[in-house]
Amino acid sequence: MAQTVRPAAAQRIGEVVFAALALGLGLFVLIGAGAIRVPGAGSTVGPRVFPYLVSIILIASAAMVLVDLLRGRLGPQEESEDADPTAKTDWITLAKLAAFVVAHIALIPLLGWPIAAAILFGGVAWSLGAKKWWVALLVGFALSLTVQVVFGGLLGLSLPLGPLLGFLEPLFTLLRG
Amino acid sequence: MENIELLMEGFATALQWEYLIYAFLGVLVGTAVGVLPGIGPAMTVALLLPLTYTLDPTAALITFAGIYYGGMYGGSTTSILLNTPGESASIVTALEGNKMAKLGRGAAALATAALGSFVAGTVATIGLTLLAPTIAKLAVNLAPADYVALMVIAFITVGALLGSSVWRGLTSLGIGLFLGLVGTEILSGQQRYTFGLLPLADGIDVVLVAVGLFAVGETFYVASRMRHGPVSLIPITKGWRNWMTREDWRRSWKPWLRGTAIGFPIGTIPAGGADVATFLSYAAEKKLSRHKHEFGRGAIEGVAGPESANNAAAAGVLVPLLTLGLPTTATAAIILSAFQSYGIQPGPQLFQNQSGLVWALIASLYIGNVMLLVLNLPLVGIWVKLLQIPRPYLYAGILTFAALGAFAVNFSTVDIVILLIVGVLGYFLRRFGYPVAPLVIGLILGPMAEAQLRRALQLSQGDLTALVTRPFALACYVSLAVIILLGLWLKRRQSRLERALESALEAETSVSAAVDHMWEPGDRPTDVHTTEIEAIRVEQEQEQEREQRADAAGRATSRRGSRGEKRPPGGPR
Repeated sequence: MAQTVRPAAAQRIGEVVFAALALGLGLFVLIGAGAIRVPGAGSTVGPRVFPYLVSIILIASAAMVLVDLLRGRLGPQEESEDADPTAKTDWITLAKLAAFVVAHIALIPLLGWPIAAAILFGGVAWSLGAKKWWVALLVGFALSLTVQVVFGGLLGLSLPLGPLLGFLEPLFTLLRG
Repeated sequence: MENIELLMEGFATALQWEYLIYAFLGVLVGTAVGVLPGIGPAMTVALLLPLTYTLDPTAALITFAGIYYGGMYGGSTTSILLNTPGESASIVTALEGNKMAKLGRGAAALATAALGSFVAGTVATIGLTLLAPTIAKLAVNLAPADYVALMVIAFITVGALLGSSVWRGLTSLGIGLFLGLVGTEILSGQQRYTFGLLPLADGIDVVLVAVGLFAVGETFYVASRMRHGPVSLIPITKGWRNWMTREDWRRSWKPWLRGTAIGFPIGTIPAGGADVATFLSYAAEKKLSRHKHEFGRGAIEGVAGPESANNAAAAGVLVPLLTLGLPTTATAAIILSAFQSYGIQPGPQLFQNQSGLVWALIASLYIGNVMLLVLNLPLVGIWVKLLQIPRPYLYAGILTFAALGAFAVNFSTVDIVILLIVGVLGYFLRRFGYPVAPLVIGLILGPMAEAQLRRALQLSQGDLTALVTRPFALACYVSLAVIILLGLWLKRRQSRLERALESALEAETSVSAAVDHMWEPGDRPTDVHTTEIEAIRVEQEQEQEREQRADAAGRATSRRGSRGEKRPPGGPR
């Protein structure tokens, strides 16, 4: 493909690594299947049979992908409306997104769901290039409060409010009726 | 007769105020989320599944049916109006619709898509009403070996025939099957691949995998190479009342019906779902059209037919889902898990044990279709506004709701950790061109297939031949062989046709651009035949000439008051 700007070599290394990992997963399933305890008496087909089948599928197909790759057939690019297929991979943005999800996980028990969600929303929007970070944060907070009222209050999904918003608790008990 | 009575009872349930509101909310949210760029029907359903957790089963499933149909309608609006290549360039419908919009005929494209979806959705739902109870009755006699055969068909068609590479599809399927293995095995109570971790003992929730793959994976993928700058939309003009001219109607109604006739049967058999149906419909319309040269440049038939086929297939998919418990698309797999979360197992017994629920669901499909027509024709302007949401906010919203969905499964942050891991997996699958649908199907169908396989072998006391000796199972395997051959042939044709179409357009600018387009990854230079592009070009030019002559002749005849329906000399072969 002449029009791809990205170095094909890097893409190819990534693909080979991924296919090799899939092959490794197949081997892991195969070895793991042998370790599953089979209860002595009873069924003719034990809990090992299906894992063996799965490992065969994984090993065979991953190996075929590897063969394809070595022959120089790269995978097709996934297409998406908002993705620019010619752009270089932006690892920094990806790392930021993952970091904000991790932060979200850590913050839920500490600050409650609404604030943790607002930070996730604001952070992701900022990472993706929203102009003003505080607007993103405010929008996120408005969104998370709406969700809290509709799902936490009206539909009875038990989203933790957290210590900072704990004073709103009576309101939600009221909403739940 | 009995079925009509049951359907009427279903309507009586579904027409209650409460359920009407749920149906309306379903189609509304389904359309809204479906319109958002980057969100396909599978992601729509996955993202919204957790929101129905607190409802009673009937309300939840009615809402869900609305979301399912709504997501289908919404998607077409996006591809027609969004002025970016990408997904919209690869799907035939969008190719024509997008071109129409650029010619200032976006309104007609939207209208024919919405009306076609309505016609197809309604006719196909009638088909579902008639067909499903009969199939369910027949399916009661199926033995475990027969189910194994059906599931093998589903695995192979979804894994090998969808997506562009057979082995990548099967690898994805294998990963899904592995994830399905994780957890406590039901029959013997043994833990498999749990690493002794408690959260894994119950298995990996389908919602986490679906949301992780579709929502988180897609967000990561877009974030890694985001298209910056303002969103470029194709403006639509005119009020909705005069969107379609008389000519548009004349050219649309047959493709609607043909699309339905093609889409519904393909949806019902476990052979690839909507993609194949849209392609076949497009090919059929191109072959039958009097305006062949317009194809690839904005032919209304190329929108009307495939859009109808798409929606008819979506309804068709519900037939094996409800009667056999067999999901044949990723979206259907997620719907199946929605059923299971209420302890309802779709299958032959469903129509007996949960008759009221099923018929209310089917009735709500009719109602939802009418609501969708109203929502999509006059109100399309509102949906278009959704397309203009700044992308950072859009994807921030998707990720936030994905995290909410994962958290809402058990109110445990461990699930968000799993979601993140699956999301990263989804990113790499996308990046390296592995289809994600087989993974979802493998995850949900894997444990069911294992149960049936073990049951079948237990009945035969370990005799493997029992898997193929039953006539039904044997017929399945034979048809699988046919499906594989047919499918591979169709896929080859489809990708060649798509590329040749694009190449013919490129050829207007430069020859080398056209050749680039025909170049398959891994092809040697000698594998690219300019004759294929040339053939389409010549065909198009001839068609154009013929058409001009026919138009002139047609105008002459119609002026004299006779029908303008005459076929042009030497038209369709």
